Amino acid sequence: MTDDRKRSRRSVVEFRAEAVDHVPVHIGDVKVADGSSLLYTVGLGSCVAIALYDPYERIGGLAHAMLPHPNMGRRDAPPGRFATTAVASLIELMEARGASRRRLQARLAGGASMFRDLLDREGLKLGRRNVDAARDALTSAGIEVQAEDVLGTYGRSVFLRTTDGQLLVTSVSHDDVLL
Amino acid sequence: MDLRSLDSSQLDAMREIANIGAGHAATALSQMTDRVIMIDVPEVSIIRIEDVGTITGEPDDAVAAVMMKVLGDVTGRTVQIFPGASAVKLVSMVSGGVEPEFPDGFTSEHQSTLKEIGNIIVGAYLNALSDFMGLLLIMSVPAIAIDMAGAVMTTSYLNFGEEQDHVLCVNTGMIIGEERIRGHFLLIPDATSLQVMLREMKLV
Repeated sequence: MTDDRKRSRRSVVEFRAEAVDHVPVHIGDVKVADGSSLLYTVGLGSCVAIALYDPYERIGGLAHAMLPHPNMGRRDAPPGRFATTAVASLIELMEARGASRRRLQARLAGGASMFRDLLDREGLKLGRRNVDAARDALTSAGIEVQAEDVLGTYGRSVFLRTTDGQLLVTSVSHDDVLL
Repeated sequence: MDLRSLDSSQLDAMREIANIGAGHAATALSQMTDRVIMIDVPEVSIIRIEDVGTITGEPDDAVAAVMMKVLGDVTGRTVQIFPGASAVKLVSMVSGGVEPEFPDGFTSEHQSTLKEIGNIIVGAYLNALSDFMGLLLIMSVPAIAIDMAGAVMTTSYLNFGEEQDHVLCVNTGMIIGEERIRGHFLLIPDATSLQVMLREMKLV
């Protein structure tokens, strides 16, 4: 293992060690936490992670969405499955916890195109569409995307620290990114 | 169709298909590696798309995954998942040499070897299905990913264009030799092809 990779692994360990509460966000989940928490979600491929943070109240929210938006006429699907409805759900949950929408900062990660040689010929580009849908929903809600680590061809995991809103993005074979 | 409406005889038929395919794949793999291969009873289940990330284990496990498209009368995908430790053992067993470190030392040469192994496994699996159902099944070239299981699995089960609440999981586990190399073979027919297969077996 190279020195860079060792450093990479260490930052996850530090993020984990600092936090009092570890809050897993599974696929399709939308979760909010405050205090000294670490919201995290692992194994994002074409899925997109949407992280929101209120720096004044120090409230963080994280969603792991699989698809861009619900099909027309479908109202029974869980909101966390889709980027657009996950954004709406995150904002609602964060406001209920005491966050203010005008202070919210957004960070995005994921939306990769894995097995690109095989799957991109089908022209679906699900990863890109997930990222675009999340960006559009955030813009419509008046929330700025402060930073992102998206697209590419590899999977990612993300860790959101609620003490300062920093988002650590890790992967199997690329360097960590701090957003 | 709503996959939850599949009855037990239809699910049993899919299990039988997986068993036949995996049986032939195991024979091919056994000849290639000169090892005894054990195959599990195929697991056939209908699961929520939110749960596909954990089909083969923890979603953040680093795995080597070989994907191929299936073309012909039945269309869809096959995905083979090898946990990192198993991938390195399998590659060094087939090509000789020391076991590389996973994932950092798993070079493009190792990846090519694993793709070749994947080719032989899928070829045998699909041939058996072709013979059994009297349908034409062809495989594409392989693609490989060294990545987290969750990212691989969601990508494999999504990206069909028409997403549903549930997916059909046809998963056969294999254990290779005394080294106990583990692998999973997943058959992922698209919605239309599932109907084609069931019709061919007189189950719709």
